Order: sequence, then structure tokens, then C-alpha cells
Amino acid sequence: MADVAVSVPARFNPWPATVFVALCILAALFLAPTAGVLLSSVKTTRAIALGDLWSVPDRIYLENYAEVLFNPAVHRYFLNTLLVTVPATVASIALGVLAGHVFAKLPFRGSNILFLIVVSGMFFPPQVILVPLFRLFNGLGLIDTLWPIILVHTALGIPICTLLMRNFFAAVPNALREAALIEGANEWQVLTRVSLPLSLPALAVLATLQFTWIWNDFLWPLIFTQSDDKRTIMIGIVNLRGQYTVAWGVQGALSLVASLPTLVIFLFFQRYFIKGMTMGAIKG
Amino acid sequence: METQNRLWRVLLLALPILVFSVLVIWPLLSSFYYSFTNWNGFNRDYEFLGLRNFAKIWTDRLFFNAIVNTTIWMVAALVLPTLTGLFLALLLDRQVRGARIFKTVFYLPICLSAIVVGQIWIWIYQPDWGLLNTFVKLAGNPDFNYAWLARPDSALFAVIVAWSWQQTGLSMVIYLAGLTSIPSEMLEVCEIEGATAWQRIWRVVIPLLTPSTVVVVALSMINSLKGFDILYIMTGGGPFNSSDTLAMHMYNESFKKYLMGYGSAISVVLFLIALTVIGVYFRQLRKVDEIYG
Amino acid sequence: MARVELRNIHKSFGATEVIRGVDLTIGSGEFMVFVGPSGCGKSTILRLISGLESVSSGQILFDGEDMTRTAPSKRQLAMVFQSYALFPHLTVAENIGFGLSLGKTPKTEITRRVTEVAKILQLDSLLDRTPRQLSGGQRQRVAIGRSIIRNPKVFLFDEPLSNLDAALRVSMRLEIARLHRKLGDVTMIYVTHDQIEAMTLADRIVVLNGGRIEQVGTPMEVYENPANTFVAGFVGAPSMNFIRCCVDGDGVARFGPAGIRPTRPHEVSGDALLGIRPEHLALVDSGQGTFDAEIELVERLGAESLVYLRAPFLERAITVRAGGALGLSEQKLVGVQVDLTNLHVFSPSSPTLKQDP
Repeated sequence: MADVAVSVPARFNPWPATVFVALCILAALFLAPTAGVLLSSVKTTRAIALGDLWSVPDRIYLENYAEVLFNPAVHRYFLNTLLVTVPATVASIALGVLAGHVFAKLPFRGSNILFLIVVSGMFFPPQVILVPLFRLFNGLGLIDTLWPIILVHTALGIPICTLLMRNFFAAVPNALREAALIEGANEWQVLTRVSLPLSLPALAVLATLQFTWIWNDFLWPLIFTQSDDKRTIMIGIVNLRGQYTVAWGVQGALSLVASLPTLVIFLFFQRYFIKGMTMGAIKG
Repeated sequence: METQNRLWRVLLLALPILVFSVLVIWPLLSSFYYSFTNWNGFNRDYEFLGLRNFAKIWTDRLFFNAIVNTTIWMVAALVLPTLTGLFLALLLDRQVRGARIFKTVFYLPICLSAIVVGQIWIWIYQPDWGLLNTFVKLAGNPDFNYAWLARPDSALFAVIVAWSWQQTGLSMVIYLAGLTSIPSEMLEVCEIEGATAWQRIWRVVIPLLTPSTVVVVALSMINSLKGFDILYIMTGGGPFNSSDTLAMHMYNESFKKYLMGYGSAISVVLFLIALTVIGVYFRQLRKVDEIYG
Repeated sequence: MARVELRNIHKSFGATEVIRGVDLTIGSGEFMVFVGPSGCGKSTILRLISGLESVSSGQILFDGEDMTRTAPSKRQLAMVFQSYALFPHLTVAENIGFGLSLGKTPKTEITRRVTEVAKILQLDSLLDRTPRQLSGGQRQRVAIGRSIIRNPKVFLFDEPLSNLDAALRVSMRLEIARLHRKLGDVTMIYVTHDQIEAMTLADRIVVLNGGRIEQVGTPMEVYENPANTFVAGFVGAPSMNFIRCCVDGDGVARFGPAGIRPTRPHEVSGDALLGIRPEHLALVDSGQGTFDAEIELVERLGAESLVYLRAPFLERAITVRAGGALGLSEQKLVGVQVDLTNLHVFSPSSPTLKQDP
């Protein structure tokens, strides 16, 4: 009998198409709010007030962005936010690295409980420590400076940084540490020459997470700063609402500009970001 | 060896533990202390009130209002993003075309600040030209002009929807991670045993996602206890305290009325609720670990 | 280059004592191999010598100098790990030079030494690769290179070949033997569970069991004169056969219908265990040998066959090493001839190896 290639007509499977269409509709719904802000930011206040927000503009109106970008107050907010975010991100990761190394490679009696205490710090509503911290920094005369915000974010970052670094360091084989010790390395060299270079992905995860959270924070600058030239950008958005009461377009532009750093980080480091979110959530 | 290890432990842990103790543990403990005082936030001195702040809680109508709102908030903010996130994860788990782009879209709001999210949704709820009312108008009700955020009936739910929009991506990602950890053999068994797609999802996939569900549920509850920024910008707890939650109420009492002692008492209650949630969470996590390990 | 002495070493992890009093002197330049079943403490002893673990009690001396509390980096030793423990983020050259780069050795000096070592191990062409790009054997050589570059006094090997496939294991075994000869008087301490490695590489073997030393001796001593049934059963494959017997006043060991007189001197009388290696038994026609037994199974290995025999008076099947192409069939009754000059007699209370079926 000759071999006959029988071509079976593929049975039509409606599922992939249905799922795809459903996802498209959901994605459109999800994007609508952001799209609205984007549209508002390139339209005149008049056009918005006349109910013309949701149409595609024939002309892109950039005055709103000019208003935001040339506003010295906005410059000040951005600078303050950077001055808080960068040091607090670096410091919290550095402290997490130190603690994570001990919990992963130098466990001791009671270290598990200590680790659990540190990590559970991640879960508590910050309102619980609001009043005592306000009193502490008030007593130190640091209210209305950026210091308390940096310090508090550093401290509040320790749980997640310790958790992620410990998990990463624990995955580095013990034999590597021991080989380094035998070759004459001390614990600090084990950390800096072996464990850390192998944990660059973890550092990337933490850098994106911490930067985003601290950049986006509202509560701590609200509590610790009072004068306008010490405010961060998220407070700035709220403050400028008064100045631009009905200037919807300017508000939209400001929101987008304020979110730009975190958006960029998110789009470029999405992989790390998601990894951090899931690791932080699941291993907790 | 042990001697050096001991030394390095102390050297490496000293700074992180010091910072954490001074700025997290100590304030946590002194919150309890201040809850027994009438400190006003500015004066050096304060009086010791004993349990009077806690007695006041019992008679504070706004506190009960906040408790009710927090409960509504916690339950709604638990159900909405969890179900949507699960649904999206199930859709995206199959190799849909463009899955990566879809994931990015659904996940995007999580990188926005609560302030910006609030701002965006204020637009949506704007009575005259907001997206929501525009829709209703297009749907055949041209005179519809409902101020969602200005009405006590709808303000809280309006904020919850905005909040869910942001949180959905998180539960989706956790569910997606859970789905990838289901061994493909289990799904192949379903195929061989002749289960329908529906049976497969309800009888196998969702039960196997229990560990993820525990995480998602606990995380949403904890996050909703923390929720403050978005309420602050969207409603400020109003109108008529209709969207006032515990976190909001605590802020108002402490930093608007400068009743920091009383505010601390509220924060102690908040802490105890969080502690309960976390305690249950850790226990469930251990239970789930034993089964699904 | 260094004499390693262990004096009454004890080590406990929590409540479990894993090393229960070990005394041992390893001569300078000696190649000492630790063998024993898993969990016998052989790796732990190696880690105690390296300093990665601290002893619970006892003393460790190098050339008479007390090293018990000295940090591993100060003991002038090198260690090759089972997993090789190469740093995945460093190149071959950087891996080999890692130890030197930690100190103040100038860069040019490091490069010179690395090239030198690479030449000895034939790694010259691989210096810029990372460990991931290497084969198992190459990784092993890099790990050795990293160890020899610092001219250690003591070389520690923790099951270095067990991650390699069978063919490579043979060639790396030869390479290690060659290295030992080339490096001359470096003390080497080698942990393995592989008997062939132990027999071929060792100057002396230490057989460990349950955290104690059962016997120390040259490979042939241990093989020919096992101190007890544990060593007898552990060393040699297939294992020694043990037959319960009774030694009477005339020194005749009786079991079943058989009565034989071992020629080697021993001090056991009454109940005893008779140890016979499979190669010291021969198959003859039924009725012609020391006793008769039925063939249960024949495993043909090509050059030889392993024949498993049963008899009503034998507790378990005994193994006979026989020629390759024998016309043996199962269930046949054969005679077994015992080589009386190679019989071992053990007291029944002698520590025994827990045998897996």
C-alpha cells in the first residue's frame, strides 16, 4: 500500500480568537483612563470644557507641557524628589544586602525569628508609626527638611530588600563561599567579590521597585514637609491643583511628567519589576 | 571559624538592625505609649490619660463610620481585583498572540502613584465631560450629570473602582506566576481523563492556584488597610465622611485636629487589625505549604 | 609538605554527634583517602581539617602547630569541591587567580602564575572563557588550577570526580595521580565513596563508619586484612560473603555439612562469621567441593560471571566470581570449593555494614 499523505483539515477552534477579542476589549477599557489624561494634556482648557476631551485632536497643543516644564516650582519638586529617592533607594538596598547576607549565609540561633520580624515590617500600615516619627523628627528639628523622608524610606525599605537579597543569596551555592574562604577571602570579600556580582538581577529588581515606590510616595512628604520648596512632586501635583483649578490640560500634563521616570523604568525594566513584585509577595 | 562568623554577623547586621529598630520597631512600640496620652503634636508636655482615648473610640461615631467604610473597602477591594486578576491570568496563560503587550497594559497602572491614579479617575468621574458620564450620555441619557465623587452614596465605591484598576495587575501577575508552576502533566491528565475546559479550570486549575489565592487575598487586605493617598486626593474622606477609612480618620485626627494621642489610639486599632490579618496569612501560608509545598 | 594530625576529634551538629573521637596522623606528602558509606562523616572530617567547620572538641595540628582555631584562609591549604565551586561571573584566568587577587600580589605576577598553572593543566587556550562554556573535565581542571596556584601545603578533595561521567572519571583519576607525583611532597586528603578511586589513588585508606575510624592501612592491607566485618564488607566489589559458622576447639569452622580449617591465624572460637571473597570461591561439580549449592542467578559481565548460590544452611545468597563463558544454568546444583588460605574469621559482635538488598 502506498503511503498517502492525508491532509486533515484543521478543526476550527474558536477559542483563541474569542480570547484575543476579549483581551482587546479589556485592554481598551484598561487603557482608557490613561488615554484620557494623555488626550487632555494636548488640548486647550476650552476644548475640554466644551466636552471635546474624548476626540482625537487634529492639532497637538503643547502649551500645557510648556506651562509645566517651565514652572520653577515643578523644577524644585523634581529636584526634591530625586534628592529623596536616589539616596533612599541606594541606602535601603545597601542595608538589605548586609542583612540578607547574614540571614542567608551566616544563620544563627534565633536568626529566623529576627528575619521574620524584619520582613513583617513590610506589611504594617505606615500610619501606625506616623505620630512617634513625627515627634522624633520634630524633636531633632528636622521637620520641613528632606532628611526624615530619606531616613524613613531607607528604614521602610529594609524588609523587602532584606527578603529579596536573602532569597537571592541563599540561591548562591555555599561551596562558592567556602571556596572563596579557603582561597583567603574574608566575609566582606565573599560578599563583594562573589555574592554581589552574582546577584545583579536582584539589585536591578530592588532598584526598580524601591525607586518607583519612593518616587510615588505621598504620605511621608505630606507629614514631614510644610514649605513649598521642600515638597516632592506628588505633593506638588496636589498643591498645583489649586493654582490650575480648571486648567485640566495642565494638570494632565503635570501628572504625566511626574509619572515619566517611573513609567520609563517600568517599561524598560518590566521583567525585574514583575519579578520583584511576585517574589516579594509570594516568599513573604 | 565560628569566632570570625560571630564577628561578621555583628558587623554586617549592626547598621540594618539599628536603622530598622530606631525608625520602625521603636515608633511601633511608642505608638502604644502615645495612645495613652493627649499629646497635641507641638507642646513638649502631655498628660497621661490612661485608657480614656480608647474609651473615646467607643463613643466616636466617626470611628465607627471609619470601621464600616474600611470593612466595605477591604471586602470590595479584595473581591474586585482578585476576580479580575484571576480572569485575566486565565485568559493570558494560554499562548495568546500579543500576550506580552497585554500583560504590560494590565500591569501598567501599578507603576503609577496613587496620586496620579486618583487624578486620572477624577477625570473619569468628572460630571460634565468625564468618560463615565460621556458613556451614559451616549447610551441615550443626554442630560445625565451625576457627580460620582460628590455624592455620599457613590464616593466610596467610585474610589474603590479606581483602586481596583490599579491593583488588578498585581493579582494578575501573582496568578500568572502560580499558573506557570502548575506542572503540565496535571493538565495532560485532564485531557486524557476527558475533562472539559470548564471542568479543568474549576476542578483542577483553580484549586491548584490556592497558594496564589492566599497571597493575593492577604496582600489586598493589607494594601487596603494602608490605602490613604488615593482617598486623600479623590475625596479627602468626604463627602460627609462617607469615604472616611481608618487610615484617613487617623490622619485627620492626628494632623488636622492635632489630637495625636487619640490618633495613636486609632493607629493601635489599625495595627491590631493588620496583625490579625498577617497572623492568619502566615498560618494559611504554612498550611498551604504543607499541602502544595 | 605538612604532617596533619587529628587528636581525639569530636563534632556535633546540634544534638547529633557526627564525629565520635577520631585520632589520625597523615604523613607529609602522603595521599590519604577517606572512604565510607554516606553519612559516615568523611566529608565532615575534611571540612574540619579545612577549617570550614569548627571541631566540638579535639585538636588539629599541621606540622605540630595547633591549627584548631585558625581561619581556613590561614591554613595554607587548597580544596577541590564536588561541584567545582567555580565562580560563574569570572573567567577561567580570574578563577585560577582569585586567591592571589585578594591579596597584594601585583597584576603582572598573577598573570605570570596563572599562565604557568594553565600550561601544566592544558588550559592555556581556555583562559578567557567562563565556567559555563567549559566541559565537566575542563571545569575540574580549572578547580584544580585554582588550588595549586597558591602552593598549598595540604590539598583537600571532596568527592571531586563524582559529577563526571564514567569515562571522564577514569582519565581524571589518572590526572590526579599524575598531579600528586608532579607536586611531589604535597599532602593530599581525598574523600570519596568510590572504592576504585580509593584503591588506585591512595597511599593509605581510612575506612570510616558512623563517625569512627574502622581501619587505616594501605589499600592492599585493608583489602587483604580487613579489621572487622564492616571493612571487609565495604571494601571490595562484589562484597565479601559472610557465612555464620561455629569454630570448634580444633579450629575447624562448621556450617551446614561443611567443616573447614582456615589457615590464617585468628583468635575466634565458638559462634563466628566466616568471610570469603567471591574470587576465593570456585565452582566444581556437585559433590566435589566443600559444599553443594543451587545456582539462583548468573550475571554475565563478559570477562567474568557473577554466580549467586543458595543452600538451605546459608542465610543469604553467596556470590562466586567465575570465568566468562561457563555453561551454567540456573537451578543447577554445583559444588563450591573454598580457598582455605584466604578465609577471614570474625567474631559475630564485630561491627557490620548495613547491607542494602
